[in-house]
Amino acid sequence: MGDHLETIKSAVINGKHAEIKALVQGAIDAGLDPNTIINEALIPGMDVVGKDFGSGKIFVPEMLVSAVTMKAGVEIVKPLLASGQGRSRGTVIMATVKGDLHDIGKNLVTMMLESAGFRVIDLGVDLDVDKLIEQVKAIRPDILGLSALLTTTMPEMQKVIGELHSQGLRDKLKVLVGGAPVDPAFAEKIGADGYGANAVEAVELARVLTEKKG
Amino acid sequence: MQMKINSHRLVMSAMFGGRRGPRPPVGNPTSIVCHGLMEKAGVSFPEAHLNPNAMAELALAGHELVGFDTVMPEYSVVQEAAALGARVDWGGRDKMPDVRDFPNADFSDITMPSDFLEKPSCRVVLDALSLLRRHVGGRVAIIGKVMGPWTMSYHMVGTQNFLLAVGMKETSKVTKMLCQLMPITVAFINAQFAAGADIVVLADHATRNLVGPYHYEQYLLPLHQEITAQVGGPIILHVCGNCSDRLELFARSGVDAYHFEWQVDSKEAVRRIGDKISLVGNVNNPQALLQGTPEDVYKQARYAIEAGVHLIGPECAIPLATPIENLKAIVEAARQGY
Repeated sequence: MGDHLETIKSAVINGKHAEIKALVQGAIDAGLDPNTIINEALIPGMDVVGKDFGSGKIFVPEMLVSAVTMKAGVEIVKPLLASGQGRSRGTVIMATVKGDLHDIGKNLVTMMLESAGFRVIDLGVDLDVDKLIEQVKAIRPDILGLSALLTTTMPEMQKVIGELHSQGLRDKLKVLVGGAPVDPAFAEKIGADGYGANAVEAVELARVLTEKKG
Repeated sequence: MQMKINSHRLVMSAMFGGRRGPRPPVGNPTSIVCHGLMEKAGVSFPEAHLNPNAMAELALAGHELVGFDTVMPEYSVVQEAAALGARVDWGGRDKMPDVRDFPNADFSDITMPSDFLEKPSCRVVLDALSLLRRHVGGRVAIIGKVMGPWTMSYHMVGTQNFLLAVGMKETSKVTKMLCQLMPITVAFINAQFAAGADIVVLADHATRNLVGPYHYEQYLLPLHQEITAQVGGPIILHVCGNCSDRLELFARSGVDAYHFEWQVDSKEAVRRIGDKISLVGNVNNPQALLQGTPEDVYKQARYAIEAGVHLIGPECAIPLATPIENLKAIVEAARQGY
């Protein structure tokens, strides 16, 4: 059992995207519990990737391949989760703010949130405030994740939070922000609930915030 | 006797680590256009991306109204992509241009159109450079700007798509794309020199935010060495983000200078590569120029000057909402001399 899990974890770390499906299927055939495969192999593998990314050992190309690998593994396991076990950890809306077309960071976070059991609605890039608010009202997410790569578009995040306040929606959800020019000080200044320096941190934060919410 | 100074001489001497005048030069390898500058110049985006007179006018304003020693008329990063057939949204007063779709997302072959330099988005830059040459040639340093093959790949293939291929180690596919784009970079650089540029910025965003030094060394360093061998004038490499982990690689690329961000400590940059190539930068955009006071900017500029940075300026294209007083604080810091 340990061998299967170690092999799968290592496949995620090393981005063995072509092999992951067979490895996960092999573990299932050997009788491993689907939840164990996710929680003790796929997610811990991605945690290692996140740490390596944070320390500058690997970069976005490797992280993308690992995320794709993990997602492929999760897709094999997901249909097998017993009803109830597949319950989502929470609903997240993800978007890159208005004026900004950069989406790699957002896409990585989206892939990893999905793999970690969240229901994610990815609204894409260049989202203006009104459209975002409209979607928040319709979907009622637990978390709103905002991304910006440009110093020119960072202020849009503040506009979104301001509008959530004025529409009485701010207390109903958590706002997470991220992107290359964003830092914890900026997140605090604009009144966000959290900031993730990378996709792994963002997912961890999402877990903590949804657990607190109970 | 001390060198006779004008902006052009100060900048060109700094480019090659030569004799110092009474003060360091102030330069902008990337855009210093902000709303205040557009208002003062009476020229706005998107006109200044599309019309050579407007483009040159706005560039001149950076020298005449703010006091920079350089003029740089290319404000976007998408001129080449537009000429290669990517759909470009030219934005507006509040928004920089962007590529809206990626014509070579499937890594299909790219060949340089025979009339590449005559495509409107290239012609406009060449004409603006010539206009600037006629107006301020020999007095102010004229800077051109060209995207390198790495950045052009982001625009033609899509950044995520391109980086995924890099991650999946599809080396031949990635290399083929870069090698097809490299002659385009070379042709546009040489055309900009011929049109009147004194210096050309090679912007190629192999930044630490996206890729590692080993990616740069494997894929891009050989191409940068080839590009710098084929072009006829001084080159400033621009790669944003914290690139502390690859400074020595940049110094081996054959460029004459590196334009760097605040995240790289200027003292460390000067210590490590300042005797090999010149350093340009590195006043912080988001905290100092956009959100800080003129005093904050002044202090950062003085730190860079005292560290030995050769040409002082913002770290990257400035946010459009940057107060013009903050830009002037860089000039003020340089006027205090060394």
